[in-house]
Amino acid sequence: MTSTDAPTHPEPAPAPPGEEPRRRLHPLSPLLQGAKSIVVIAAALSWQTLGQVGPGRFALVVLALAVGVVVLSVISWLNTGYHVVGRELRIQDGLLWRRNRAIPLERLQAVELRRPLLAQLTGLAELRLEVVGGGKTEAPLAYLSVRDAAALRERLLALAGHASAPAATAATAPQQQSFLVRVRNTDVLIAQLLTPQAFFIPFGVAFVVFQFLIEGTWGFVALASTFTAMAGVLLQPIRRVLQDWNFRLARDADGRLQVSFGLLETRSQVVPLHRVQAITATWPLLWRPKGWLHLRLDIAGYAGPQSGDDKGNDRLLPVGDFWTARALAWDVLPGVDLMALPTTPPPDRARWFHPFALRRMGAGLTDQVFVSRWGILTRQVSVVPYARLQSVRVVQGPLQRLLGLATVYADTAGGRSGSARDRDLAEAWALAEQLAIRSQLARGAATPRDTITPPTDAVAAVPAAAGEAAVPAATGEAAVPAAEDEAWRQPSEGPRPAGPGEQPPGAGTPPAGRP
Amino acid sequence: MTEPSVSPAPTHPADPLEPWPDAVAWRPVSPKLITVELINRAIWVVILLAGLTVGWALTGTGWWFAGMAAVVLFAVYRSFVTVRAVRAWGYAERDSDLLVRHGLLIRRLSIVPYARMQYVDVTAGPLERAFGLATVQLHTAAAASDARIPGLPPEEASRLRDKLTALGEDRAEGL
Repeated sequence: MTSTDAPTHPEPAPAPPGEEPRRRLHPLSPLLQGAKSIVVIAAALSWQTLGQVGPGRFALVVLALAVGVVVLSVISWLNTGYHVVGRELRIQDGLLWRRNRAIPLERLQAVELRRPLLAQLTGLAELRLEVVGGGKTEAPLAYLSVRDAAALRERLLALAGHASAPAATAATAPQQQSFLVRVRNTDVLIAQLLTPQAFFIPFGVAFVVFQFLIEGTWGFVALASTFTAMAGVLLQPIRRVLQDWNFRLARDADGRLQVSFGLLETRSQVVPLHRVQAITATWPLLWRPKGWLHLRLDIAGYAGPQSGDDKGNDRLLPVGDFWTARALAWDVLPGVDLMALPTTPPPDRARWFHPFALRRMGAGLTDQVFVSRWGILTRQVSVVPYARLQSVRVVQGPLQRLLGLATVYADTAGGRSGSARDRDLAEAWALAEQLAIRSQLARGAATPRDTITPPTDAVAAVPAAAGEAAVPAATGEAAVPAAEDEAWRQPSEGPRPAGPGEQPPGAGTPPAGRP
Repeated sequence: MTEPSVSPAPTHPADPLEPWPDAVAWRPVSPKLITVELINRAIWVVILLAGLTVGWALTGTGWWFAGMAAVVLFAVYRSFVTVRAVRAWGYAERDSDLLVRHGLLIRRLSIVPYARMQYVDVTAGPLERAFGLATVQLHTAAAASDARIPGLPPEEASRLRDKLTALGEDRAEGL
């Protein structure tokens, strides 16, 4: 990827003496913004208007509006600037209402380099910073040249890291990134064909054709508007294919995750590993014959589940077989083995709430993560590291009280929270207590290494209820290194618990997902 | 399903409002909160009744009285619930986290570590102020976290705020 070019002229990473000059965005950015708004304007005017006004005047209106937008963009470009001051990125923008934003870099969660089609043609890129405490991306810098953007990203990430990080990164700047996963494009294609929407596409097309055959009018406008309407609903698989095209996941020299994907709009995200709040694995029903699953990543600052799926901000693996996913999960959360996630189902009386899904539900504690699984058709497992827990809640509704059940939630900053639904009340208390203790231990794990083993009496309570698949959780995993900086770098050497009877084809460092 | 063979505490009560009674010293909120809540409800009842009376004056059918009766009955029922609900609020400060429990119909317990605190809100509405009460709310980076303690005397509220802030700074982890 061009976006991972080494910063050729590394700027002085520590806070420079005095004020650094304000820098402007790339001079071409107003034009690109204008081009973007042409599309928006054309869409807003809709096909209907085109039919009424005629193509000539329609084009004229669009052009006039676009010129106006470009002029405005140029003025706003003149007013926009950014510079790094100490450990802050300051951005000034705004036309009438000037805005001066200072983004503290220690709060930086992830940085994304996004290149829409036009930007790819012109060699530009948009830099987006994800900070906690906003539903939307906080500071899009559109556009910079790719080299500037990559250099700025490196610099911001270095500043965002620990105080000693800048010196270290400057020394090891020649990138020695290692590929973790490269998803084959055919796999992406097949995976999206195996979605409910894809199954409906033939019906949709047939319906449209049938309708036109009956009505006998093949006007361009009618055709175009029908397809536009259809595209919104039925073409989601195609969008996903375009987004997931060329999906690659690597780890850069500092152990951060580098995710890049996209065909028309290429995006490349850099996520420091300690910003990963949770991982969710999903086995869709139609992928089951293939044995495929996809992995999602929760990062604070990205929008929550309501918009997460479509934006594709949160993918860790768009499609892959189990062994790839397992190796990947191990890389992202060292010590987490997708095979050895013992969970116990809720007590039998919870069957009143979940007549079918009960056996598929469950929750469990390993020595690093809180595991919960649910769903019969689409099976999901979510993994929340104790170190990332924000709070623990126990909630008991009136019906649950009748049955003596309660639900335990483990909240993370990522928007989703792990939950152990409908547990026995006493067990729920024990679980909540354990989560509180373990998150405290995990938080303090950087300094006192000896106290990591949690008190054993109550730990036993939860796995002891396990009927099946109770892989001994507490015994063998004490040797697994905890979340610590060195441990992030050499993930796969650790004692990897092998599943009962099966052995991954490539249990070592390069996972099996490479084509 | 088998019962958990090792019960975490032998004397574990099944009361969801009193988890870990031996380890945790729950503190109640001020009973004055009952009065505040009742006055709040009374204001709403008066507004609703006024609206219904206007409706009755305009149309003159007897159904409006049924509506009024329903409003009054519901308010009376809710008032009884309020009394118990306020008694159900409780909080406890442990070494490293804050516990908050509340709710009667849906019972909730939140455990929020001090280290995860992003900021603390202390608010007091006009009615609360008149009775010398304040609400403390602890915010974390997770939107779902729910640690709100109403009905605290101002000095207790500011003590709690200062303590939380101090502890939060002490162990600041944020994310």
